[in-house]
This record gives sequence, C-alpha cells and structure tokens, in this order.
Amino acid sequence: MQSKKRALLDFGRMAGILALAFAVNLILRRLFNTQTMTPMIFVLGVFLVAWRTQGYLWGILASLISVFAVNFAFTYPYWEFNLIRPECLSSAVVMLVVSIMTSALTTKIKRQEQMKAEAEKERMRGNLLRAVSHDLRTPLTSIYGACSAMLENFDEIPRETHMKLLSDVCSDAQWLVRMVENLLSVTRIDADGVSLAKNDTVLEELIDTVLVKFHKHYPQQAVHLGIPDDFVSIPMDAMLISQVLMNLLENAVFHAKGMKNLWLRVEVRGGWAYFSVEDDGCGIPEEKLPKLFTGMLDSEAPTDLSRSSMGIGLSVCSAIIKAHGGDIWAKRRPEGGTEVGFRLEMEDHHGEQQI
Amino acid sequence: MGNNKYKILIVEDDRSILGFVQTILEANGYQVLTAERCAQGLLVFSSHIPDLVVLDLGLPDLDGTEFIRQARALSAVPIIVLSARTEEADKVSALDLGANDYITKPFGTAELLARVRAALRSGRLSPQATPASRFTVDDLVIDYDRRQVTVAGSPVHLTQTEYNILAFLSQHTGKVMTYAAIIREIWGSMDDGSVKKLQVNMANIRKKLGCRPGDSRYVTNELGVGYRMLDE
Repeated sequence: MQSKKRALLDFGRMAGILALAFAVNLILRRLFNTQTMTPMIFVLGVFLVAWRTQGYLWGILASLISVFAVNFAFTYPYWEFNLIRPECLSSAVVMLVVSIMTSALTTKIKRQEQMKAEAEKERMRGNLLRAVSHDLRTPLTSIYGACSAMLENFDEIPRETHMKLLSDVCSDAQWLVRMVENLLSVTRIDADGVSLAKNDTVLEELIDTVLVKFHKHYPQQAVHLGIPDDFVSIPMDAMLISQVLMNLLENAVFHAKGMKNLWLRVEVRGGWAYFSVEDDGCGIPEEKLPKLFTGMLDSEAPTDLSRSSMGIGLSVCSAIIKAHGGDIWAKRRPEGGTEVGFRLEMEDHHGEQQI
Repeated sequence: MGNNKYKILIVEDDRSILGFVQTILEANGYQVLTAERCAQGLLVFSSHIPDLVVLDLGLPDLDGTEFIRQARALSAVPIIVLSARTEEADKVSALDLGANDYITKPFGTAELLARVRAALRSGRLSPQATPASRFTVDDLVIDYDRRQVTVAGSPVHLTQTEYNILAFLSQHTGKVMTYAAIIREIWGSMDDGSVKKLQVNMANIRKKLGCRPGDSRYVTNELGVGYRMLDE
C-alpha cells in the first residue's frame, strides 16, 4: 500500500520533470532556433528525477524517455523517430550513457548520506556505552571492595567503620540504580522513536510525581515551582519525561556548586509546552555548552571524582526529547547559573469541558 | 507474642531479593512465609491464609497475575506486587485484578515497610466490615452520611461526581485504584474520553482541597495507573 503510493508519487515527479524539460526545449528552440542546449536540459531533467525519486528505476526510465524525446522532437527529421541515421543513433547512445550514469551517481550519493547518518547514530551509541561502562566500574569496584572487606574482616573492623562502609555501599548502589534507569530508557527508544508509550498526561500530575520523588531523595533542596493554573494535558511517555525532569533537577543538585535556588517552570505558548530547570549555581562554561548533550563530557574527564554521569544523563534527556519530536537546550543565565529547557508539542485542549 | 504476629507470604523466585525482604520483615516483627514458585505460593496461601502477600510478577512457572486471580477467588487478603520497570503493563493488570499496591524494583527498606503497614491497615478495613460514617486523613474529613468534605474544619464544595470519586478512593484507602476501576464505579462504563474526564475531575478536587504539586497530603497520583487515597 505504502510502496504503491510512493511509486505513484515518484512516477508523477518523473513525468512532471520530463514534461517541463520538454516544454523548456520547445520554447528555447522557438526563441533561439538552436538545439545545442537540448540534451543538456534533458540530462538536467534526468538528474533531478534521480535526485527526487527512490532507487535507480525512475532515473533510468527517465533517461530512456529523454533519449526518445530528443530523437523524436529535437533531432532532424523533426517529429519522427529515426534510429537509422548514424548521427541520431550515436547521439542517442551518448545521451543514454550520460543520463544513466548521472542517475546512478545521484542514487549512490543518497545511499552514502543515509549510511553516514546511521554511522553517526552508531557512534553516539558507542560513546554512550563507553561512558557508561567507565561510570559503572567505579561504584562497582567500591561496592565489591567494601563488601569483601567486611566479609573477610568482620570482627576486626569497628562498628562505626562497618556503618561507614555500608552507607557508602548504599549510596553507590543508589547511584547505580539511577544509571541503570537511564540506560533502560535509552534502550526503550528505538532509532525511530516508535517504542514511545505516548499517553495524554496531566501536567500537574507529572510535576507532582517528579517533585514527590525528588523531595524523597533530596529533602533539603526546595524547588520553586511555576506552572499554569489551567488543566494542561500533554501527549508524552510520562515515565521517560519524568525521568528527564528528574535528571535535570539532580544535575542541578550535583553540579551547580553554590546553588541557593532551584526553579522548575512550565509555560504553554504557541502549541508547545516549554519546560525549564534553572539554578543560580556556578554555571557551565560557555565552551562546554554545545557538548553537553552528546555524552562526551565524562570520557573527556575520566578522573572526575564526583562520578557525575551528567554527560550520560543529559544525552539520555536529549534522546528522549528528540524521540518525542521536541527540542532541548542549555544556556547560561544572565544572572548566573544554568538554565536547561526543553519543549514538547501540545495537543489542542480547547475543546475540553468540565463535567 | 508469637500468635498475634502478622503473617506475610513472600512469593519471589530471586533468592537474594527473597532473603532481604524476609530479613527486613522479620526484623520488624512480622512472621514470614516464603515460596519461590507460583504453585507453591498458592499452596502455602490456601493452607496458612496469610494477612498479606508480597508477590513478584515475574515468576518462572506461572504469571504472577495468575496467582492474584486464584488468590482473589479465595480471599480478599491484601496483595503487594513487586514489579520491574519493564513490566508496566502487567502492573496495571495486576491492580485491576485486585492487587492493592505495587512497589517498583529496586526499592528501599522504608518504602517496603510503609507499603506493608498501609496494606495491612487497608486489609483490616475491608469493604465487608461495617462502613464507618466518616473518614479522616490528615486534616481532611469526609462525612459519608451528610456527603460533606471539610479540610481543617472548613467545608469544601465538591460537585456530585467529585464527591463520589473522593468517597470511592477513601473507601479503598491505601490501595491504588486504577483509572478503569474508578471509571467503572463512577460512570459505569468506559469510553475514549473517560480517563480525561476523570483527570479533569481530579484536577478540580486537588484545587478545591488546596493541594500543590509535590505536596500531596491526601491523594497521591500514580502516573498512567490511577490514584491512591493516603491513610497516614
């Protein structure tokens, strides 16, 4: 069904482009009374056909048609086929070869571009995987070390040291949990984003869920909240978007040194919901901003003791938002600190009625 | 002392999870029965009649939802489901089948104990018990006889539907009620707009009760699943 429609569309394009080339040639012949341009214009037509259609078929078909058209209308004798005169035949053969090669070349370039995009995607995945493996090793080492130390020297270690080791193990494990949740989200996002479980989600409920979870983990950190008063419902994979918000809030807690205030704001304008997480902490250097969402931060600074996972967290965020068809960005606040924001497309909720 | 301990049945195939859940529960004064298979769990369930079941959804022999179906045929004992993140759909069907609550793996001690306490309480006030004439959580009071709701002593003006939803949740306090379960109770049947209708009503209820996001004192929302009236 789909391929039939596509073939019809490609046929339409080919017919249109060739008809145009034919018409242009007729006009040029009338204007300048010469045919030197004729084959060139048809070759251009074939090139356009190959560029705008799928596969080799239409380009080759277009070149054949062009050859016949030139032979029929634009070589002496006009308005009849003549494949016997040697100059007609040879010009037809040359034109056929040129146009077929053009068409093949264009198709090949298109294929290469596609492959390049795929390779880029692969590379992103590879980066992520490398960063993750690196980040997983550190807490696992410390968990393993602490546990075996306790098992092997249980009686020699004083009680306080036990408690200290255990609480380290606990926080390392919690960190691993967060990391694995991020990874799970990445695996859920297919290359084309089809595995999203999009549901209409009430903004207030989403924010509530995120804040409840956030307050449970970081009871000391208040969040200044600004969301619309109206009933707002946005189609999204709520599990993934709440993870994005959680990642952004956690990043602020971990990385915005000296932060006093943390804001979470949502605005609705122009058919989009704009989310932003802002802090008044130390801010991110301008030159690091463009690399923020690529997952490359951590592998560049492997000795980072805070075991940030910020790079991974943000590249996961970016993957999730892109899979939703939204955008994500980060910028320095003029007042100091960082703002990370993203937007999601809204559904139309004007028809909503209160029951 | 041994007799009046609550009996909790844990059905979980992973030994280390089983071990730590058992340790936590026993350390907090519960008597623990364990099963590693669904069939074995059902056997223990029917012979010991526990006060609470902690059930893993991903069991090797039978689906955990099958356990719920068979256990519900026997009794209304509260069931807490342990679910991994990849089993979200199963979670909703488990709740629809009559599970009381779910905990997403991985979970901490505090969370597990809070859910266990809540589920045991809700098990005591099962629907078969004589209905109380009023319900209280924090400073929210629902007077069933006069169909009146007050927060901190001052009356809250709810519509019929809003009151019905709130009352329904309060009659199943501590238990996650799925969208489908609430809609079935309030409107009878489910159609395309039902969930949104419910969400709009809930938004109005929250507004009238003065709830701010991140500070749900009375009703928590479980994204994409349903709502739960708190009980402490």
